[in-house]
Amino acid sequence: MKNLFLLTLFLFSFLLQPARARTVEVEVHGMTCAFCVDNLERKFGKMESISKIDVSLKTKKIRLQTAEDQPGLEIIKQTILDAGFKPMEITILLDE
Amino acid sequence: MNKTYLVFVLGSFCIGFMSTTQGMGLRSFVALPVEKQGAVIRLAFEHTKDADTDSLTTSAAYGLSSKQTLLFGFPYRLSPAGDNRQGDLSFLYRHIIIQDDSSSGTNRLGLLGGVIIPTDNDRDLAIQAGFVFTHFKNRHEIDIDALYQAGLDDRPDSGRYDLSWQYRLSPVEYPEWGIAQEWYSILELNGRWRKGRSVTHQLTTGLQWVHQTWVLEAGIAKDLNNEKELRYLLNSRFHF
Repeated sequence: MKNLFLLTLFLFSFLLQPARARTVEVEVHGMTCAFCVDNLERKFGKMESISKIDVSLKTKKIRLQTAEDQPGLEIIKQTILDAGFKPMEITILLDE
Repeated sequence: MNKTYLVFVLGSFCIGFMSTTQGMGLRSFVALPVEKQGAVIRLAFEHTKDADTDSLTTSAAYGLSSKQTLLFGFPYRLSPAGDNRQGDLSFLYRHIIIQDDSSSGTNRLGLLGGVIIPTDNDRDLAIQAGFVFTHFKNRHEIDIDALYQAGLDDRPDSGRYDLSWQYRLSPVEYPEWGIAQEWYSILELNGRWRKGRSVTHQLTTGLQWVHQTWVLEAGIAKDLNNEKELRYLLNSRFHF
């Protein structure tokens, strides 16, 4: 009985864990002005798996707060290409 | 006012309007980057001092892909009232054939092709072709475009060129994260030509206020030769 209780507790604690998020940082070449950058924000803003978008024209980077494994990196790259820019280095940071 | 002169001025407007669908410069729209399935609408008001005419050109751009854009322009004379207030419709297809992006900017070369569809039975169709080149580096942007419009039947050939330099006045340094509003100064050399007349060269100066989803811009354009007309410009752009 004790073992069953512990097992149930373990399963619940696993299920109740908050969904992990990740931060994806992409260096983007070709970003030139505020009006142009709106292209990118609109594209990523339509994706449900992305909760936050930050853009830096200073460092030519975008930072995406996403679900743990969505969207895939290929989708992120293609979205940047569709917006008219060139994706470069991608850095992934797993959040706690 | 001399009727011939008025017709010429309005005709000159039409040449300009036919290919409007503007980019980052004040007088041209073709350099504007548009993302796949993105759209930009531009309203351009122009007052011509000596001829005392007001006009409004509605332009739109739609991105078929990041390298393929449809551009549309429709001029309308607000005043003086009378017949033939609608200018001719301009349709252009732009294909970016060279794009070289870097961390400090971009170089892009696009080819342009399309038609001018008359809105009056007295005017004929024209076919237009040209190019647009954009160089953007740090705080500077240079746009160069040229269009040749070959008239069919009785329509005279026409053409235009635009050389535009924009310089970011503010912010001098971008913030670490986030999008700040931007101010640009604009200096342009423009040319408008219609067969049978010499090219009218124009100097345009202005300011742009760039927000993330809209742009407001104003300027003055002065003919350097021919009629030496002075034009006041007020434009707005919206991203959808």
